[in-house]
Amino acid sequence: MKDLIYLTYSEIKTKLNDGSLKSKDLVSAYISRIEVTDSKVKAFLEFNKENILKQAEESDNRRKSGKLLSEFDGIPIGIKDNICITGEITSCSSKILENFRSPYDATVIQKLKAKGFVLFPRLNMDEFAMGSSTENSAFQTTRNPFDTNRIPGGSSGGSAAAVAASMLPVSLGSDTGGSIRQPAALCGIWGLKPTYGRVSRYGLIAYASSLDQIGPFSNDLQGIADLMEILSGLDHKDQTTAKVNSFEANTVSSIDWKGKRIGVMKSEEFSFSPEVNKRYAEILKDIETKGATLVPLDFSLLKFAIPVYYLIATAECSSNLSRFDGIRYGLRKEGAGKLEDLYSESRTQGFGAEVKRRILLGTFSLSSGYYDAYYGKAQKARVLIRKQYAEFFKSVDIIFQPTSPTTAFKVGEKTKDPIQMYQADILTTSVNLAGVPAISCPAGLDSNGLPIGLQITSHHFDESKLLSFAKSVSELEMCKLALPTEIT
Amino acid sequence: MDEQELKNIANLAKLNIDDAEVSSMLNDFSRIVQYVDEIKNLDTSAVGDDEIYEQIFYELRKDFAENGLKRDDLAKIAPSYENGYIVVPKVIET
Repeated sequence: MKDLIYLTYSEIKTKLNDGSLKSKDLVSAYISRIEVTDSKVKAFLEFNKENILKQAEESDNRRKSGKLLSEFDGIPIGIKDNICITGEITSCSSKILENFRSPYDATVIQKLKAKGFVLFPRLNMDEFAMGSSTENSAFQTTRNPFDTNRIPGGSSGGSAAAVAASMLPVSLGSDTGGSIRQPAALCGIWGLKPTYGRVSRYGLIAYASSLDQIGPFSNDLQGIADLMEILSGLDHKDQTTAKVNSFEANTVSSIDWKGKRIGVMKSEEFSFSPEVNKRYAEILKDIETKGATLVPLDFSLLKFAIPVYYLIATAECSSNLSRFDGIRYGLRKEGAGKLEDLYSESRTQGFGAEVKRRILLGTFSLSSGYYDAYYGKAQKARVLIRKQYAEFFKSVDIIFQPTSPTTAFKVGEKTKDPIQMYQADILTTSVNLAGVPAISCPAGLDSNGLPIGLQITSHHFDESKLLSFAKSVSELEMCKLALPTEIT
Repeated sequence: MDEQELKNIANLAKLNIDDAEVSSMLNDFSRIVQYVDEIKNLDTSAVGDDEIYEQIFYELRKDFAENGLKRDDLAKIAPSYENGYIVVPKVIET
């Protein structure tokens, strides 16, 4: 039998349900893998072996007594460190929340528990989900399983690396400007940012509330589809969840490329690395041969997406993170004199450099005298970007772009230059500003053996079409999954 | 952006910046502001103020009380808890 850790999500689901695999055996195999591999990858911030084994045993007992919670009972799933689980630490990889134990479950966690998933908290991330490389964690830098001298992408780097290193079949991350799709691309797996409003954010520690969405990573597309069905839906605890038809995993099926209109980028608009460019062109050529029509779209407005994103996201973060003041939440700097000193000393010691930079930018753009020129202007630009996507989808079925302009860069390569780092998300941020869904699909490896990702974007709440196209992409020879077995 | 302006913003954000940090932070911050300044080149005159707040969906929940967190659970995570109350540092200056 294939080594348990290399089973795909679908194989795991089938084997658990036909009785040929016990959750405890599977989980034990992952634990052994993590114990050997995570010293190199550093995806996990914490790892409670006893608790995880207990969950798996309980699942096996339910199966034995015919009281299964669902067909997903016993499947292991990793959880990013900004999603609250009762009794567990949720630190957002920040010193300010280092000891915070959540007294409640996020809605997505309630849903996973109700189905019997075995939860593996806590996966490393950029502090408060701010970053594109997982180098901003206050505790450790996660490494790319394809080359541990390189970054896994961010901010959900721990969630992506854990799946790519075969330490888990599926995991949850959160995406504010590309934080699921970009690490999925750089780690060679699937990662989906759902439509804004599709998945409840209740219990996700907020970075930028109008942009954040929780979404899944998986080592196969079925994992993405199943998790979307489980996680999505109206939640009265999050008023921004949408009352729309629910997503059903069984609506995902391969499409016939003939006659499909694929929105594509004009190559001169953005600068990609030559190998990313080459792979993008090869995929487009292949689907064109299969009968699809390529429709070049005018993405010129999207060059404003990163400035707009940083103005809106940082404004929201300066507001959201004001709750971490040493009184209501977070580290308290004992011995501070006046109340104002307690606030500022607690925050100064608790937050890392990137979080401080973003709070300052947000405070600046919201401050008197600058509001209209920055925050107000960015909000209007966001409307234009949203309208631009609506316009695109009048003429195309779907949009194909590279997910990231380059493959994984080396640890430390961009840390000194925030602007260069921000540009790693150039192709993903506009999707969050528009609120549309997008997935990153594995699209083969470059000449250094590093993964390339293809981003597919569809109209609001059209995840069914999105995943159907992704399924067909996964069937292209050059887009087959290729995860590393040796982590070096 | 000058040193004083950066310190004012930091003060509003309740962050301390020590003198050693000022110059590197000022440099980063000025470059970021210069970068986001690019949006000044975008014509947004066609977008009305009301469009910013457009939302496709919002459904307010019914106005009824439900159980929240239990006191015992809060007590477990509060840094200091006495006689059913969370103790916070003195916040009123005399």
